Amino acid sequence: MKTETVKPKTSTSETNPKIVSEAEWLVARKDLLTREKELTRLRDEVSKHRRELPWVKIEKEYVFEGPNGKETLADLFEGRSQLIVYHFMLGPGWEEGCKSCSYLADHFDGANWHLPHRDVTFVVISRAPLSELEAYKKRMGWRFKWLSSYGNDFNFDYHVSATEEEKTKGKMFYNYRTDELIGDEMPGLSVLYKDENGDVFHTYSTYARGLDLLVGAYNFLDLVPKGRDEDKLDFTMDWVRRHNQY
Amino acid sequence: MNKEKTPKVAPREEWLRARKELLEAEKELTRRSDELARRRQELPWVRIDKGYRFETDEGNASLADLFRGRSQLLIYHFMFGPDYTAGCPSCSAIADGFNGFAIHLANHDVMLWAVSRAPLAKLQAYKRRMGWMFPWASSVGGDFNYDFNASFTKEQQLKGGIEYNYEREEPADYRAREGRQTGQWREGSESGDEGPVAEMAARCGTDVATYIRERPGMSAFALKDGIVYHTYSTYARGLDALWGMYQWLDRAPKGRNETGIWWRRHDEYERVAR
Repeated sequence: MKTETVKPKTSTSETNPKIVSEAEWLVARKDLLTREKELTRLRDEVSKHRRELPWVKIEKEYVFEGPNGKETLADLFEGRSQLIVYHFMLGPGWEEGCKSCSYLADHFDGANWHLPHRDVTFVVISRAPLSELEAYKKRMGWRFKWLSSYGNDFNFDYHVSATEEEKTKGKMFYNYRTDELIGDEMPGLSVLYKDENGDVFHTYSTYARGLDLLVGAYNFLDLVPKGRDEDKLDFTMDWVRRHNQY
Repeated sequence: MNKEKTPKVAPREEWLRARKELLEAEKELTRRSDELARRRQELPWVRIDKGYRFETDEGNASLADLFRGRSQLLIYHFMFGPDYTAGCPSCSAIADGFNGFAIHLANHDVMLWAVSRAPLAKLQAYKRRMGWMFPWASSVGGDFNYDFNASFTKEQQLKGGIEYNYEREEPADYRAREGRQTGQWREGSESGDEGPVAEMAARCGTDVATYIRERPGMSAFALKDGIVYHTYSTYARGLDALWGMYQWLDRAPKGRNETGIWWRRHDEYERVAR
């Protein structure tokens, strides 16, 4: 990790703080704390609401190409009952994986030490052929399991890859609405459940800013004086590089 | 241990209706979270005049040195007291998360450090064992941890002088505060020598009283015109959003699925297929 003394590479905003005594700061901080606790409670409530979603039984068979050869969706659970799939933007023929997904992926391995111990199997799925995924994974030094959905409908059915029809029309169903097509591949996360009979159910998918909470670096940036500091950039994550390109 | 789920199985259209309703609640939560982040940036700053010293891999350093050319500094108060034989397992799980992305922060004007009270050699050995890359400084012998309410003295424990997470604790009630040391503020947890805190203390090779003289937290600092300011500190469940694995578990059907302390240091789990 490059942490030597440097001048920041990103242009960052200026701060114009009010300097106060510790006692005065504490009053402001306690007021904020009340609001933070409210937000934590609200987040717990939304998580509860999420767990009450109905499930949809998956009848279609999907076969993926992975490090263990061909595997069905049911195989991917590896004996656990819950599966989290991160839809990583890496389409067939791309030279490298999406920069923003790579930023997210730098969070996966840390959490994935622990997820298998709460009955969760975590995998990453992209549409590029397996050899292209494996080359990029090796370059980035990641450990998570990465599978290719090349040739099956998985990415289209979960609305993270644009169909030929969507491309022709220039409109895509993404994040639960049809809007202007932004790109052929889009980011997302889907959750599946396998019961004791081996039936597989779709429980949840999230896209766009629904992924925000999973970007731990943003949760940390939300605590510093300048915050995410992206307002002056052309787009959010404009400052992000692949971790070996800084 | 694992919860059984008895779901409602529905056709796709019905799921979609329920999902869109949840989406509105999620968007509201995102907006509320953005608004709170804005308020956090509006907090006033407190000038720091005390000359804190730290032991680092590169030698003795001041608080200003820790910025390494950036204007913002985040310090994770990692629970690793001088008498611990290993770092706290909960802090270790949080560190598993930030270890992966500290490099992104370092390139966005934010240096992220862990600071603990154990001597540097202990921190270095544990960091090697866990395979982490982030910088970790020892505040041994100084007031830093005490001033930012991440460490407390025996006297404070006995006489009542502990103010943690902006609340005053009753004297010598550490046994009654069981369950409060894991970053998860739980109700109805046991007290005495049994229970989650005793388990955590044992995992750190120490007793409960020694274990909870260290507390988890995160503090933010700014460097402007050569002067260091304290801008923010958070503790307890304020760290929840920083604990990466929870944000993922919150999306799984069983949620956090907790019946006790299930997490271990990442090299203490039985080997699993990855």
